[in-house]
Amino acid sequence: MKTPRLTARSLALVPLVFLVVLLAAPVVRLLAEGFGSGDLGTSGPLPWLALWQDDYLRWRVVWSLLQAAVTCVLALLLGLPVAWVLARREFAGRALVLRLLMLPFVVPTLVAALGVLALWGPRGWLGAPLAEAGWRLDETPWLLLYGNLFFNLCLVVRAGVDALEQVSAPRVAAARTLGATPWRAFWRVEWPAIAPWLASALCLVFLYCFSGFGLALILGGQRYATVEVEIYTLVAHELELGQAGVLAVWMLGLTGAVALAYAWLEKRLAAPGRVIPMARQRPTGSAQWFAVWAAVGVLVLVCAAPLLAIGLQAGRALLVGQGLDVLTETETLTALWNTLRFSAMALALATGLGLTHALAVRAFDASGSSQGGALAWRAAAYLPFVVSPVTVAFGLLLLYPSWTASLALLIGAYALLAYPFVAKSLTAALDNLPESYAQAAATLGARPVRVLWRVTLPLVSQALRRGMAFAAATALGEFAVTLFLSRPEWATLTQLIYARLGRPGAANLDAALVLACVLMALALLAFTLIEGPSKKDPAVHA
Amino acid sequence: MQRRFLFSALVSASLMCAGMVSAVAQTKPPLRVLAHGSFDLPKPLLAQFEKDAGVKLQIVKAGDAGEMVNKLILTRAQPIADVVFGIDNTLALRAQSAGVLDAYSGAATQRAAATGLPENLVPVDYGYVNLNIDKAWFADKKLALPTSLADLTKPAYAKLLVVQNPATSSPGQAFMLATVAGLGEEAAFDWWKQMRANGVKVVKGWSEAYYTEFSRNGGAYPIVVSYTSSPAAEVFYSKEKITEAPTANLFLKGGVFRQVEGVAMVKGGNPAAREAAGRFIEFLRSAPVQEGLQTTMWVFPAEAGAPRVDVIKQHAAEPSTFDELKAPLTEAQSKAWLQRWTKTVLK
Repeated sequence: MKTPRLTARSLALVPLVFLVVLLAAPVVRLLAEGFGSGDLGTSGPLPWLALWQDDYLRWRVVWSLLQAAVTCVLALLLGLPVAWVLARREFAGRALVLRLLMLPFVVPTLVAALGVLALWGPRGWLGAPLAEAGWRLDETPWLLLYGNLFFNLCLVVRAGVDALEQVSAPRVAAARTLGATPWRAFWRVEWPAIAPWLASALCLVFLYCFSGFGLALILGGQRYATVEVEIYTLVAHELELGQAGVLAVWMLGLTGAVALAYAWLEKRLAAPGRVIPMARQRPTGSAQWFAVWAAVGVLVLVCAAPLLAIGLQAGRALLVGQGLDVLTETETLTALWNTLRFSAMALALATGLGLTHALAVRAFDASGSSQGGALAWRAAAYLPFVVSPVTVAFGLLLLYPSWTASLALLIGAYALLAYPFVAKSLTAALDNLPESYAQAAATLGARPVRVLWRVTLPLVSQALRRGMAFAAATALGEFAVTLFLSRPEWATLTQLIYARLGRPGAANLDAALVLACVLMALALLAFTLIEGPSKKDPAVHA
Repeated sequence: MQRRFLFSALVSASLMCAGMVSAVAQTKPPLRVLAHGSFDLPKPLLAQFEKDAGVKLQIVKAGDAGEMVNKLILTRAQPIADVVFGIDNTLALRAQSAGVLDAYSGAATQRAAATGLPENLVPVDYGYVNLNIDKAWFADKKLALPTSLADLTKPAYAKLLVVQNPATSSPGQAFMLATVAGLGEEAAFDWWKQMRANGVKVVKGWSEAYYTEFSRNGGAYPIVVSYTSSPAAEVFYSKEKITEAPTANLFLKGGVFRQVEGVAMVKGGNPAAREAAGRFIEFLRSAPVQEGLQTTMWVFPAEAGAPRVDVIKQHAAEPSTFDELKAPLTEAQSKAWLQRWTKTVLK
């Protein structure tokens, strides 16, 4: 029989090779391009510090940091009160609201961007009347910030609700008994308990906004686009690989710093002991009801309104516009087929990788010999989040020029972005699984594979399915990597939507809206099919 | 539960196999044509070509012309096409110096063309990038039309012009080059600096400028960088039957650029498709295509003596004079101007 340590190593080998080939090596290649030893650039790379002397590029970096920071502040200011209401008040529909909070996580970036435009764009439901009045929102940073909030408010709210449920009821009660006002009790007892959780969520928000691409590309315009968009422009439009390399490396350094802060905060969050959570109360009095309505109102305005706007506009496009034609075009059917098969392939690969990754973590833990190794291996699952998709795709493009247009590389890149969801979800579930079940089965003579298949997997199936659901949603809506690596004839729905947005005429806008609806429906379908009805509130993936 | 997993795994695996098999099963290779997003020819013509040449066309569109050339360069180790359409005189050098094009010497290269293109590229069509105005807007505001680029820097014309970013759009780049060719480099960038102060609006691409920002289409800017053929297209696509275009061309010194588009063999393309690629190049210079492209892509035919269709004759004026760059555009020069433009107008 193999020793656990050997098993751990052999299990870890597959995801490790995958990470090295598709993530680490391209990043190293990018470093080389940035340092000037690359050969593809048509002009020399930027000197390392020139970035900060060039007003234009410095504005891009500063704005990237600024928009992420502002989003964090807004998400906290809006999210914390909403989380408090959801955690402390009991009302009909509360469970549904919590469940709907998952929605933005599965919405593809491009769909979200279109939703924001359908709502606030110069011809959107709210944007058109404002434009009439002389307020052009598309020349302001508001569109991008709103788009950021759409994705990230829910993350802060979920983290806040989870954290508030860990607050010890007796401590708050004691404070109140000693005469503290509710506000004071919150500030002195609840806030210190939840602050680390919120801080870690805000780190993630910052990371997502800072390295985000699709939203900034479509909503940023000329002035409010971020560094990721600049990197894309430098590669795709200007062929300035050296400059792009330097920028990408700076981005890597900055996201790496934020990710380190996140890891440090996460580590400080001790696993909660058994606390007596505070009981939720039904709202009494108009003020409390107002709070509930305000909380739901904020969520509707920020997280649901863009999706509703898309739905309505697409509906209108189908009924009275020219949206119907697009559904039967060969281009659409091809893109649909491509989206489905690429996602299925990526999902299969991501599931396999995530499973081996999580099992390797488990095996490392069981072997007990290498604490550091186990920890590092756990952290490795976060790597694809740290490096932005644009950077990964760009690195791949440089490193494997003869593979740039190969399906294997495209699917590999999809899987790279999708598999951490499976790995994280499974690792968490395996952590909570008592060792004794598997040991009992093994004692009764079951071989390891049989133990895995008959005991372990069924026990963690819920977590596996949740991870797969997020992985599927990621693959369906993938945009950045596709833009770099895909062959034109492999156009997916996201690419088709983007292409339609860039073409003239109302018919193309109608088509983009309808396609966005199709994509959203696919993501939701994949999510419900794989995740299925769950009894418990699902945990946030972040 | 496990059965469901097994099932989904099987489905994924079989999908993967299906994908691979379908990739391998094709016997006669299709002709892969790389083109920019605006490539458009009458469908019956393309079908006729497929029938005559006995080959399936696979037209792959790769965004803006500049983006398309870059994609060709970045994928040169494993080319994504056998023949490429839409490289123009501003991009020719980039494609040449990257060595992504192959020589072609068929019949089309022997015949005289209305305009020329550098080696390896066979000219197919040409057009002029210039300023278009919204006639109704100017009539309504009783504002005289500008008679020179300098007029546009005056307060009366503040916030009236929308242009494309030359870094991301080929008409944008063409217009920038027009100002350099017509005014001289220093005067041109000085003009751009004044235009920035006078509220020139910059957008990413042509469709955004024309269909969102142009006052004719509901925007706020009555002057837009577009093509001399755009007024003809307005008449052609108008819902009601109209005899006069609602927009007009402005032919200002330093505001007109001639763009010539060509087709070329892709180096490293499938050898089995090479013969068909040659036929495709000849096809683009054939009479039916030279006529058809006038009202699908709104350009003038490159074949010398090819007849113009009526709507082009009536509504798409050709400028009597226009400026061309003194020396052929080099890659380094083009980059330097782009960077200077970005610094002057955007930073």
